[in-house]
Amino acid sequence: MSKFLLLAFRNVFRNRRRTIMTLLMVGGGVTGLLLAGGYFAFMTRGLREDTIRNGLGHMQIFTADHFRRDEVHVLDTGIDNWRQIAATVSTGGHVRGVAPRIEFYGMVSNGAKSSVFMGSAVDPIAETSLGFSTRVTTGHNLSGKAEGEVEALIGAGLAKSMNVKVGDGLTLLAVTTDGALNGVDVQIAGIVNNGIAELDARYLRITLASAQRLLQSDRVTNLVVGLDATENTDAVAIALEPRLHGLSQELVLKKWIDLAAYYKQVRTMFNGIFLFMGLIVFLMVLMSSVNTLLMAMMERTREIGTMLAMGTPRAWVVALFMLEATLLGALGAIVGLAGGNLLGALINSAGLHMPPPPGYTVQISFRVLHVPSLMIGSSLMVVVSLACASILPAIRASRLQIAEALSHV
Amino acid sequence: MDRTDALVSVEDVTRKFPLDHNAVTALNHVSFQVNAGEFLAIAGPSGSGKSTLLNLIGCIDKPTSGRILINSVNASTLSPARTTQLRRETIGFVFQTFNLIPVFTASENVEFPLLVQGVSASDRRKRVGEALESVGLSARAHHRPDLLSGGERQRIAVARAIVHHPALVLADEPTANLDTQNATQLIDLMRDLNRSLGLTFIFSTHDQRLLEHTPRIVRLCDGQVISDTSTEGAGHEQVLAACVP
Repeated sequence: MSKFLLLAFRNVFRNRRRTIMTLLMVGGGVTGLLLAGGYFAFMTRGLREDTIRNGLGHMQIFTADHFRRDEVHVLDTGIDNWRQIAATVSTGGHVRGVAPRIEFYGMVSNGAKSSVFMGSAVDPIAETSLGFSTRVTTGHNLSGKAEGEVEALIGAGLAKSMNVKVGDGLTLLAVTTDGALNGVDVQIAGIVNNGIAELDARYLRITLASAQRLLQSDRVTNLVVGLDATENTDAVAIALEPRLHGLSQELVLKKWIDLAAYYKQVRTMFNGIFLFMGLIVFLMVLMSSVNTLLMAMMERTREIGTMLAMGTPRAWVVALFMLEATLLGALGAIVGLAGGNLLGALINSAGLHMPPPPGYTVQISFRVLHVPSLMIGSSLMVVVSLACASILPAIRASRLQIAEALSHV
Repeated sequence: MDRTDALVSVEDVTRKFPLDHNAVTALNHVSFQVNAGEFLAIAGPSGSGKSTLLNLIGCIDKPTSGRILINSVNASTLSPARTTQLRRETIGFVFQTFNLIPVFTASENVEFPLLVQGVSASDRRKRVGEALESVGLSARAHHRPDLLSGGERQRIAVARAIVHHPALVLADEPTANLDTQNATQLIDLMRDLNRSLGLTFIFSTHDQRLLEHTPRIVRLCDGQVISDTSTEGAGHEQVLAACVP
């Protein structure tokens, strides 16, 4: 067997120029897949962590009613005893902290002009301890102080629409849990740029205590749980779920992936693009390799005839050609892995940026992740592609008429 | 299975090749026998059917009619797998253009038939060494064919043909690509191996000079045997037909 392998290996380098061209083609395919896949992986990982850090957290706890019915009034389906639940959850392993939230909406007015806002109320200290960042471009984040003016962060688009700046005052109007209209004056502490124009045109954030006063309720919409690492989400969720049963309210624990609809759409799109690219590379390698391997077979017709005349089983000839192609694919994969990782490192060191995509206002880093599963997958794909490409030449070689093959010029 | 005493028995063999709407008759009712240990030349001009006859005896082609028995086995009726096995175990081949595997060294080329037969590595080493020694090329064992002269290549091809101790060695115009000196040396080498190892050799040639020391010559012309001459023993010559150019 070792001699057979040796024969296949030496045959691969028989026509060096053709082998180098094939290796470059196969390697180029692998390099392309690694760069594209590495970039997609960077994008999806970045989006995942951004999504989590921007406030989604690793898990969120809601009442079951939150998903069963629409709220008639704000916080209808909110959590009552959230402090006790937060304390229970905080004692779990890998949990960095728990942040209560209220999601609400209402009208904002500067006296001359009114607009709709989508509000979220947070505990600034809890949010900061979980590492949740708010992109405050002007001014400062919510301080969480109990005294003085009620602070608010507003989106850049809303600030522009209302023609206000940091330090200016606004009036918020919202419907309380009883259905009454309530209002509160706020002072703008900071302007926020989330990077999504539509969101920034409606964004408003105040402290939890301010929102509870405005809405006349002690409830919260949900509890956001932050972990030490995203990879621990599943394990922590399994450990936490039993501890949420038997409380006064039926609670539901949602993992970040269940709530990140946009992330899932982007990931699905990237996966689709990558699969399509992979298919194109597979077909390119397949078709060009068939031609190369057929040429190699034609050149070796007399040699194959000699081997068959000496009693070599035809299956061996098939195996020899497939082995040669597989070796060629493996070598091409190595070339591609080297090229892909080298180019990836160069791109990463260059600190490139992509222009903002539609709907975004910030540039995106152009980086390539080195993903082991991608390297293995791309390599296997080209090896399989070469092996498939060798089937036709191998079968043709094995079916040669010996007498004709021996007289082949 | 048919039983005869001959190692090779060619019985009324005809081989026709289709050409457009006609058929070219390469061999026309050829019959003769070859006993074990014989050293036989098939002589004749180009196109007389020598290579076709050797292909049929070597079981790499099948006759249109008639039959060929190798060790009393009718090769024409064997399955492809059995035919391959018969070639692998019973026959050694030497080709006009040497047909060595260029990426293998001389010893690896000689080793190849043993590899195909599944002989163990230690046995292979021993038998390759013996075969190379018998053709006088032990010193060139690790050279690739492109570093060998034409004569050396053909001797390596002979070593490859005999390494698995076949009952029969077929050589199709083995001297055609050699100069006279190398051609004579090769024929002498084959004759020595025939005598020392008792191997049966059948080779084709159109070179009259090489036939001087060949004990038996079957002459072909236009696909027919025109004479079967044996110079050993009684110096018998059987003229069967005249060759009409």
